[in-house]
Amino acid sequence: MPTPRSRFLGRGESGDDAAGGTAAPMDVSADKQRINRRMFLKITGWGSFFITMGVFLAGTLRFLFPRVLFEQPPTFKIGVPGDFFSGGPDLQDGHIRVYEQWKKEHAVWIVREGRRLYAMYAKCTHLGCTPNWFPEERIFKCPCHGSRFYSNGVNFAGPAPRPLDRFGIFLAGDGRITVDKSRIYRFRDFDKQGAYLEV
Amino acid sequence: MGEYQDRYEFPDLKFNVQRGKKRDNRMEKGEKKDMFVWPDLVVMEFLTAVALTIILIVWALLVNAPLLEVANPGISENPSKAPWYFVGLQELLVYFDPWIAGVMIPSIIIICLMMIPYVDVNPRGSGRYAFSLRKFALINFNIGFLMWLLLILTGYFLRGPDWQLYWPWESWTVVKKVEDNLWSPDPATGLTGLALYFGLGMIIPRLVSRDFYRKCGPARYTIVMLSILLMYFVPIKIFLRLAFNIRYVLVTPWFNI
Amino acid sequence: MSRKKSLWKRVRRSQVWRSVFRHDYTDTRRNRILQIRSNIFLHIHPARIPSHAGRIRFTWCMGGITFFLFIVEVITGILLMFYYRPVIEYAYQDMKYLRFDVPFGIILRNIHRWAAHLMIATVMLHMLRVFLTGSYKPPREFNWVVGVNLLVVTFLLSFTGYLLPWDQLAYWAITVGANMIRATPFIGHEGPFALVDRYHDIRFMLLGGTEIGANALLRFYVLHVIVLPLAAAVLVGVHFWRIRKDGGISRPL
Repeated sequence: MPTPRSRFLGRGESGDDAAGGTAAPMDVSADKQRINRRMFLKITGWGSFFITMGVFLAGTLRFLFPRVLFEQPPTFKIGVPGDFFSGGPDLQDGHIRVYEQWKKEHAVWIVREGRRLYAMYAKCTHLGCTPNWFPEERIFKCPCHGSRFYSNGVNFAGPAPRPLDRFGIFLAGDGRITVDKSRIYRFRDFDKQGAYLEV
Repeated sequence: MGEYQDRYEFPDLKFNVQRGKKRDNRMEKGEKKDMFVWPDLVVMEFLTAVALTIILIVWALLVNAPLLEVANPGISENPSKAPWYFVGLQELLVYFDPWIAGVMIPSIIIICLMMIPYVDVNPRGSGRYAFSLRKFALINFNIGFLMWLLLILTGYFLRGPDWQLYWPWESWTVVKKVEDNLWSPDPATGLTGLALYFGLGMIIPRLVSRDFYRKCGPARYTIVMLSILLMYFVPIKIFLRLAFNIRYVLVTPWFNI
Repeated sequence: MSRKKSLWKRVRRSQVWRSVFRHDYTDTRRNRILQIRSNIFLHIHPARIPSHAGRIRFTWCMGGITFFLFIVEVITGILLMFYYRPVIEYAYQDMKYLRFDVPFGIILRNIHRWAAHLMIATVMLHMLRVFLTGSYKPPREFNWVVGVNLLVVTFLLSFTGYLLPWDQLAYWAITVGANMIRATPFIGHEGPFALVDRYHDIRFMLLGGTEIGANALLRFYVLHVIVLPLAAAVLVGVHFWRIRKDGGISRPL
């Protein structure tokens, strides 16, 4: 029998003072059962409401991460090893040559250092501006905040926190050198397999 | 609580019911405390809107909004400046790593701004200009505001190619030497320095002005002092960089400050 | 003449007129109050204010000017939307079109741009004024918080709008801005303690890609023309309402 009082209690108020009230013991147990059922409904009700809202939110967040990107394909071919290692007097250790022809389209400098070839990402490690190569001074300069890099990409001035990143580079099955922009190597990984191509 | 309700709960209602009669009496006595919004204030608002419209149209006729060449990811503008209101943050990038200058500092500023009304326990000087009653709050807020302004002015007017410092009378064609002699103290020294700064900064005001600490209570005191110490850390770091060529005050394997 | 006057009188007495304007216009105390109370737009004011609050010296009028500039931005912005397409191939062309061909296009764009810059300045000055007058103190704490949120939304509005012309200025300013987000601790892929790679971090969510491209332009556009203005409008509503509810215009309480 639903008295106004029990209905009030059913809304989740403390049931303690109901025990000291005028209601008979049987009513109290009935009340408690009712409270339990109401609590259960309340928890499942609000619970499913918030879970649903949470799922909507998570779905909206996921919605913002597209699966397919219409950006440039991550790999491109730059030629055969002979194009870069044609012998000659400058092949000795430590000599560095910077190839600029892929910068415009792919934001990559191909750099040959001794017998190694690597693909340097033309993107300042500070805030992502595109540095420029100055052949006379043999350094890279970033126009945004003045970071400077040696020809091998190592930073020596300005706010850049680390040397220029490098892309994966490997010899494909057709004998041509391929740059893989989906793999990015940072300074500590420069000596890992895949960060350079040695001939 | 009762008094609080009386005063604040329904000020609008109070205005209508009680103030209306009271003010009527007072106005008859010659006290002119209130003014009618219609037409006096509305006319002022209207005139302000008209003036602003004229200013905007003249401005728009005289100065064109910039439109450079089409976006080209291959060529960075030199210098490439953010819009003026973000140039202050860009200027901070010279002195801090991006995660501090671009993320932490603006977030902390916003959070601290939102906390101001809840940590300022000084009940005086509400709703009027009263410098002498709120010296502490006003001095610190104005210093922060001025710093923001100063950073914007420096970044906007004094930075040239490669984000180098150029005075207004200097030509941008002159190539400036980059700072390549920066150094960082070893982690132990850096950590000690930071610990000293924040430790002493937290303790000394408490010893000097016990009254301030008592009024605030521990939680508010910590928040207030921490925000103020963080704020002054920015010019201190800038000073260390400019005077001693210190790049980071604390170097760790995970992040640098 | 008299016939004209009587016609005017008849109009004023007509049911249509009286259904729109509920009171006459003679200058009485009652009508001054009714003018405010019976007009939905003017009703954001109280009928009377303390006389100091009507002085520019006290309020600097910065909040009001900011609101006016917001309205200017909405109107000019909607007009610009008729010509602007947020697609890489067209965005810059449309800007040129607006600038060199569309009648009054250049002036609309200029007003939109300069009013935006002015709005940032007035919003900051408004904050300064409110701080100087201690108008964030109880019971106005929450309204200060709403105001700080409005400041942030104003900055974001300006920031998202900056990319839309798709010129060099826009592209590089946003590049620098977006790359700062990359350095966010934990949820940015280059921040300290990064938990995610560059395909799943907060920058990717904002740009819809790893670079500033077609998705980024569209996202910034949607944020700029609907999400943020709507947020600003709601917050402005709350802000104004709370001024009235929290003790009225700045004055000692």
